[in-house]
Amino acid sequence: METDNIYHGRPPFFKRVGQWFKAIPHRFNAYWRGVGKKFAGIPKKIAARAHITKTSPKPVKASMFLMGLGQLMQKQIVKGILFLLMFAAYVVYMALAGGRAMYDFFSLGIILANPWLGIKGDNSVVMMLLGILAFILTGFYIAVHLANIRDARRTYEFVARGNPTPNFKQSLGSMFDKYFYVTALVLPVVGVFVFNILPIIFMIFLAFTDYGGEVVTTGALVSWVGFANFKRLFSMSGLGSTFVKILGWNLIWAVMSTALNYFGGLGIALLLNKKIVKAKKIWRAFPVLAYAVPGFITLLAFKFMFSNQGPINYYIEQWGGVGKLFLGVDSKWSARLIGWIVNGWLSVPSSMLLATGILANLNPDLYEAAKIDGASVWTQFVKITLPFVIFATTPVLIGQFMGNFNNFGVFYFLRGGIYCDGYFLASDTDLLINWLYNLSINKNYYSLGAAISIIIFIISAVISLFVYVKSPSYSKEDMYR
Amino acid sequence: MKKAISALLCGALVVPLVACNGGGLREKYAQQSLEKLYERFEGDIERGTAAKPITLHVLENDTAKKSGYLKELLDGFNKMYAEYHIVAIDANQDQFSDLAENGPYGYGPDVLYQANDILMRYCDGKHIIPLPIEKLDAYEYLPDLVKDTYTYSLGGHDYFMGVGVNMQAPMLYYRKDLLPENWETEWDADGNGVFDPIEDMRAMYRWSIARNAANSDQYGFMQSYDDPYFSCGYLFSYGAYVFGDDNTDMSDIGFDAANAELGAGIILQLAGVMNSGCVDNSITVARESEFARGSYFAVPNTQDMYGTLFSETVAAYRKQGMTAAEANAAANENICAVPMPDLPVSGDLTETEGDTIESIVMGGVSAYAISSYTEYPKASLAFLNYATSYEQALRRNEVLGIAPARSDANADCTVQADVAHSLLDMYNDNRISVMPSVSGVSQIWTPLATAFTEIATDPYRPGGKKFTKQDGRPNYVTLNALLDDLCDNIYNAIYTLA
Repeated sequence: METDNIYHGRPPFFKRVGQWFKAIPHRFNAYWRGVGKKFAGIPKKIAARAHITKTSPKPVKASMFLMGLGQLMQKQIVKGILFLLMFAAYVVYMALAGGRAMYDFFSLGIILANPWLGIKGDNSVVMMLLGILAFILTGFYIAVHLANIRDARRTYEFVARGNPTPNFKQSLGSMFDKYFYVTALVLPVVGVFVFNILPIIFMIFLAFTDYGGEVVTTGALVSWVGFANFKRLFSMSGLGSTFVKILGWNLIWAVMSTALNYFGGLGIALLLNKKIVKAKKIWRAFPVLAYAVPGFITLLAFKFMFSNQGPINYYIEQWGGVGKLFLGVDSKWSARLIGWIVNGWLSVPSSMLLATGILANLNPDLYEAAKIDGASVWTQFVKITLPFVIFATTPVLIGQFMGNFNNFGVFYFLRGGIYCDGYFLASDTDLLINWLYNLSINKNYYSLGAAISIIIFIISAVISLFVYVKSPSYSKEDMYR
Repeated sequence: MKKAISALLCGALVVPLVACNGGGLREKYAQQSLEKLYERFEGDIERGTAAKPITLHVLENDTAKKSGYLKELLDGFNKMYAEYHIVAIDANQDQFSDLAENGPYGYGPDVLYQANDILMRYCDGKHIIPLPIEKLDAYEYLPDLVKDTYTYSLGGHDYFMGVGVNMQAPMLYYRKDLLPENWETEWDADGNGVFDPIEDMRAMYRWSIARNAANSDQYGFMQSYDDPYFSCGYLFSYGAYVFGDDNTDMSDIGFDAANAELGAGIILQLAGVMNSGCVDNSITVARESEFARGSYFAVPNTQDMYGTLFSETVAAYRKQGMTAAEANAAANENICAVPMPDLPVSGDLTETEGDTIESIVMGGVSAYAISSYTEYPKASLAFLNYATSYEQALRRNEVLGIAPARSDANADCTVQADVAHSLLDMYNDNRISVMPSVSGVSQIWTPLATAFTEIATDPYRPGGKKFTKQDGRPNYVTLNALLDDLCDNIYNAIYTLA
C-alpha cells in the first residue's frame, strides 16, 4: 500500500526491480572501493605476517622451511617422515613430469604430428589437461604445506601448555575423532576435483584456445588466443544476433515449460487427491507409464505422429481438413508448441509424483480452518496449498528450470537437421544447448562451444542463485518447522 | 585478501596464455621430409608367432557384417596368411567411426572400408597412409574417376589414398508389372519400346498426375527431398557443382552456378505431384514397403537398398498368393533399375516437346584404406590387396549386390549386372558427380537439406508461396535467391569460424 511514496510493507515487485537496477552503480562503486581498500591493506598484512614468522618458535620456522622438519624437531617422527615423503614425492613429480607439464600448458606443444612418418607429435589437448593437473597438484601441495605449518604450531602450543607431545597413534586417532570431518571429506573432495573441477577448468581454458575447425581435422597444434572466441561471439553479425535470438527463446522456453510441467503435475496431483476420484491408483499409473518410456523413444514417436504423412495429419484429412506441416521449416510456433506438449508429456508425471508426496504431508486442519473463515477454494489453493508446495519444491523447481534450459533432446529429435533464415547454423526452435552441439560436435568448433558453455553457465547460475536466494525455501527456512 | 590474491593470480595467468604458444620452436619442428614415406611398405611382410599372432582390425560396413560377407572375407584372408600368423578380425566399431578421433589414441582399425567423403576427410590430418601404386593389384583396373577420387594432392605431389571397391549412385527403381496395359500406345511417344516416364522426367510428371488421378492412394514418382544425396542431382544436371576446381576449392561453392535454379524448379514441380511426405522423410521411411505394395511406381534408390526392396516386394507377392519361388521370380523380373530420367532443357515439366539433358546424380565410391597408425603396414597392404581382388569384388557383388568399381569385375558380375554396367557407364560419361573428398563437405548437408525442404514445402504452403508464381509456374528469381543464400550459408559454415 502506498501513501505519498511511503510503503507500508514491501514495495511492489516492479518497484523493487527498479530499485535493484538503480542501485547497480552504487554497488559497483562500493565493490571497487572494497577491492581498493583490500589492496591498500596488503603491505600492512605482509608486515603482520612477517612479524608472526619472525616471532614464531623454531619448530614452526623449520616446518615453514622444510615440510615435516618441525614435526621431527618435536619428536613426531612418523608424522614428520610422512610430511617429508610428501615433499619428496612432490619434488620428484615436479622434476620428472610436473615442471614440464606446466611449461607445456603454456606452449601447448611444439612438435607437429605426422602419422605418415610415424611422428607422434605433441598433443596440445592432453598437454593442457596435464598442465591443469600439475597446477592443481601444486595447489594441493601448498595446502598440505600450510597444514604442516599449522600442525607444527598447534603441537608446539599444546606442549607449551605442559602436555606431552602427542604420538602418531594419538594424531591418527584425532583424524577419526576431532578431525573426522577432514578424513571423511578427503576422498569426496579428491573425487570432485578429478571428475568435476578438472573437466570444468579444462572447458574454461578451452574457451581461450583455437581448438576447432581445421585445427581438429588436420591435427595441428592448438594455440592460446585470449578472448578471441568471446569477441567473435559478440562481434560477428550472424553469430551475435543468433546468440541473442536463441537466448531469448531459450529463456521463454525454460520458464514456460517449467511452469507447464510444474503446474500440470500439481494439477493432476490435486485432482487425483480428491475423494470424488475413484480408482486413483489406476489413474496415477497412466502418467507414470509415460514417464517410464525412454524419453527419446517418446520424442521419436511424437515426431512420427506429427510428421507430414503421420497419423495426426491422416485424421485431419480424413475429417475433411487440410494437413499441416507441424514441424516444417516455416512451422516455428507450431513446432515450439509441440515441443512444450511433448516436454510436458515427459515431465509432468515426475512433477505429479513429487506433488502427490508433498500434498500427503499437508495438514487437512488448515483447510478446515480456512473453510470456517469463509475462504474460497481458489483462496485455499493460493494461500495454503501453493505456498506449502512451492516452499518444499523450490530447489527441485530450480533443477527443473535448469534441466529445461539445457533440454537438448526435445528439439534435437523433433526438428533437428534444419537451419532457418536469420540464424547461424541453427533453427528457430534450437536452444543454446542445441546450437552448442551444432557448433562444437557437428562442426568441431570446440573452443567456441566452450565459450558459449561459459556464458550458458553464467546465465543459468545467476538465475538459479537469484531465484533460490529470493525463495521462501532459503529466506524462510523455518516457516513450516 | 584471498580475493585480491586470486585476482592477481588470474591476471598473471592471462598474460602467458595470450603470449605463449611454443614460439619459434614450432616452425623449427614443422620442417618434415616425406622422402621416406613409402619405406613402411618395403621388405617382407610382418610375421607373428603362434603364441602372439599379428592382429589386423578391419572396419567394414554393417551390410557386409549382417550378410556374412565380412566373416567370409576374414576367414579367406586368415587361411591364406596362416603361415605368417596374421589374423584379421572385425574391428567391432561403428561403420562411420571417425579414425581422426580414434586413431591417434590407438583405438582405430588397421584397415578401413568407408565412403570417399569420409575416407578422404582423413587426408589433411594424415590419418590414412598413401598407398604404393606399384604394389596394388587392383589399381590398373580402376576407372579414372575412381582413381581421381582417391588422389590427394599435397605440396605439389599426388598421393593415392584408397582402393575403390563399390560404386554407388541413385538410380530409378520401378515396377515393370505396374505399367499401364496401354503403355505401348499411350506412353511410348517415340516408339522406342521404352515406357516414356522412365526415360523422360516430363512424361514421369504427367504419368504421376495420371496415376494419382485414377487412384488417390497411388503415385508415380516419389522421393523425400530432405536427403541432399538424392536431391542434389537436379541442380548438378543444370550446371551446379559442390566446390570449384574439381571439388577441391572450398571457397567456390557452386550450388547456384549456371542454371541451377531450373533444377530447383524441377524439385518444386515434382513435389507438387507427390504428397506432403516429400517435405520430410516420410516417403523415405515408407519407400520400400509402399513400392512393394504398388502405391509408389518409381523411387530413386541406391544399390545397397536393393535387397530390402526385393524382400519387401517378395513379401507383398506372397500376400497376393504366390509361392516363394514364384514371388522371387516375379520380384526379379519386375524390379527394374535405370539411370534417372532425362530432364527438359527449359526446366518446364509441363511441356511435351523440346530438348532434354541427361540427369546427373551425386555418387560415391567406397574403398579400402590403411590407417597411418597401424603397426603392421605390410600385413594391412596384403589384406587390402586380398579384399580388392577380382575374386572378392565378384563375391561382394554376389552377396551384397554392389556394383564393382574394378572394370574387370564389373564386366563379369552377375547380380544386378545391368545396374553395375550402367553405373560404370555413368561414371565414364560424367553423369555422376562424386561426393567431394575435402573436409568442407561435412558442412554442406544441413544447409542443403534445409534448402530442399524449403522448396518442397512450397506446394503445401496454404498461402504466401515463396517459389511459385500466381500462374503456378516456378518463380526462378526467388529460387535463385534461395540457392545464393544456400551457398552463403555453406561458406559461412566452413569459413566464418575457421
